[in-house]
Amino acid sequence: MSSSSSSGLTFKLHPLVIVNISDHYTRVKSQQAHLNNGVASPSSSHPPRVFGCVIGVQRGRTVEIFNSFELLYDPVTDSIDRSFLLKKQELYKKVFPNFYILGWYSTGTDAQESDMQIHKALMDINESPVYVVLNPSINHAQKDLPVTIYESELHVIDGIPQLIFVRSSYTIETVEAERISVDHVAHLKPSDGGSAATQLAAHLTGTYSAIKMLNSRVRILHQYLLSMQRGDIPCDNSLLRQVSSLLRRLPAIESVKFQDDFLMEYNDTLLMTYLAMFTNCSSTMNELVDKFNTTYDKHTRRGGRTAFI
Amino acid sequence: MDSVDALIAQIQGLSSSPEDINALHTHLNQSEELLLSNVNRLANSLEQLDPSKHSLGYLYLLEASTSGPISREQSGEIVRCIARFIMTCEAEQIRLAPEKFLSVCKRLKDQVMLLQVPIQGIAPLRGAVHKLQSSPEHLTPLHPDFLLLCIMAKCYKAGRSVLSDDIIEVDQPKDFFLYCYYGGMIHVGLKNFRKALEYLHNVVTAPMTSLNAIAIEAYKKYILVSLIYSGQVPAFPKYTSSVAQRNLKCYSQPYIDLVSSYATGKISELETCFEANMEKYKSDNNVGLVKQVLSSLSKRNIQRLTQTYLTLSLQDIANLVQLGNSKQAEMHVLEMIQDGEIFATINQKDGMVSFHEDPEQYKSCEMIERIDSSIQRVMALTKTLHAIDERISCDPAYLAKMGRERPRFDLDDFDSVPQKFL
Repeated sequence: MSSSSSSGLTFKLHPLVIVNISDHYTRVKSQQAHLNNGVASPSSSHPPRVFGCVIGVQRGRTVEIFNSFELLYDPVTDSIDRSFLLKKQELYKKVFPNFYILGWYSTGTDAQESDMQIHKALMDINESPVYVVLNPSINHAQKDLPVTIYESELHVIDGIPQLIFVRSSYTIETVEAERISVDHVAHLKPSDGGSAATQLAAHLTGTYSAIKMLNSRVRILHQYLLSMQRGDIPCDNSLLRQVSSLLRRLPAIESVKFQDDFLMEYNDTLLMTYLAMFTNCSSTMNELVDKFNTTYDKHTRRGGRTAFI
Repeated sequence: MDSVDALIAQIQGLSSSPEDINALHTHLNQSEELLLSNVNRLANSLEQLDPSKHSLGYLYLLEASTSGPISREQSGEIVRCIARFIMTCEAEQIRLAPEKFLSVCKRLKDQVMLLQVPIQGIAPLRGAVHKLQSSPEHLTPLHPDFLLLCIMAKCYKAGRSVLSDDIIEVDQPKDFFLYCYYGGMIHVGLKNFRKALEYLHNVVTAPMTSLNAIAIEAYKKYILVSLIYSGQVPAFPKYTSSVAQRNLKCYSQPYIDLVSSYATGKISELETCFEANMEKYKSDNNVGLVKQVLSSLSKRNIQRLTQTYLTLSLQDIANLVQLGNSKQAEMHVLEMIQDGEIFATINQKDGMVSFHEDPEQYKSCEMIERIDSSIQRVMALTKTLHAIDERISCDPAYLAKMGRERPRFDLDDFDSVPQKFL
């Protein structure tokens, strides 16, 4: 079933798609867990499957998967919501006029027999759809990405021509904006509150702890020297020499130029803060004025009408 | 036993603990008639009281004794007496009877105005303002009186001590109008046009249900100060009451004319306008300000030149700005450099002026402090605004209006449709 593809197509997968699928899966899973909190249903025992479409561009022999969107799956009929898919397709067409539906995605360990039904259903939109599978179970031994791309090929098995899934190789492709945002998402920790400034915060935290460390080390040296001065510790000339040479390296940034640049930078930051505070204040003021006008100004847009109503 | 003496004895006895003072307060309110019928004797009785200890009783007696007509000879003595009382009295006690205190202070103001020595009233009234207000953000009815005396006495700097506080609590709208109007005038006197503009702006945009004379006068001054400060008059902001938006301009036509001739940038045109409306400006006592507007136009024109030229000869400046000769141009440029309005150097040898960029590099510790304090102030202001916003959000009037707004939307949309097709 999973022999290598012979179509000769080159697949380029964008990380956004992986993030999307993973996000979709995690969301559905946590929602399900939440729903089943009260009622212990058997479905909670096995992880949910999510379904969606992958979209992108095909240029010659290169297929580039840029993005994806989610689909509704009806577990009773084992099929996807067709009208929803068409509507979504139309919407995406407006935003990304160059993108076509290239195939679909789901989660699981491997392609399943039943997936062929869905795959066939998509064939009227794209005659040779791709199938992206993300394996959500975390395997620490595995170094590869848990993502597989399948193509369908027509094979004659036992005298009957049938479609089977074949595995295709792919490469991860990324553009600059995507790289930054994915990098950002990758470093996002729930404990940070997930604000947009996390990367900056991480950088600043790093700097802060470095300075804190330096400060504490210098303080230790200071204490050591003090106690040596008091005579609590015997005087050790070689250590003193080392301390002296170390300290000489410290004030490396004391110059007029540094002072000027530092102050300018500092003031710039302060001004930004000031601007932010100002904007905040103006917005509050604006709200207040609006409310005040509604309350006390009789002659707003609808002067005199009140009497008739 | 005389009843006034009895009252004095009571005041002396009941002025120590807060409970006693409360009892005294009710008692004094009851014996008001008695005091009024014995006005003539009260002056002597006052001497038996200590204004710093028996402040409340002293206040009642003082108020009663000054309520009658005052002759010119007496008024000097009365001014001294009230001033002494205000400076020494206990703030806690007089706040129990603010209306009495106000009337005493107003009388002081009237007397010093009558005697034409407004400067004598400044210090007592400043003391009175501080004693009466519950917090520096509280506007008392004494604020305008105090500022008026400052203006009359031309002691503008004295007024600044009170003006420097931000006002948030206001008892009477009229106080606020007057306070801001006088405040604007004081800052005009100090040539602090930015502040003056702020105060006059407050008067013009303050909520009002009907037009008042203070707002009209303030608007005239607002136009003039705005021309001096920024060379233009901004449109009314949306929080201006609709009454002001509709009517103010009709009452200040000569000033609107001034604005339009100022906008042309031609001094001759501005002068024509000035001549034509001279009488109006004179009757409004605004000639001084209008003259400053005239001189500000040359400065503004010079300022505009700095945006175009890097160097320019004095003669060219004189020609471009329509000044008489290069000497005058030099004077103007020199003045502006001194006031920090432009950054330039004059080369005496060939009469060339080179304009520079603003040398401020924003890299001093003072600048940090300045920005920091501004941030602190904005934060405090935001906090106050939030509190007010919360209060107005819970205000029954606001909620009622909001409730009524919704159905009205539909009705209006509904009946505006046929009108379009009519």
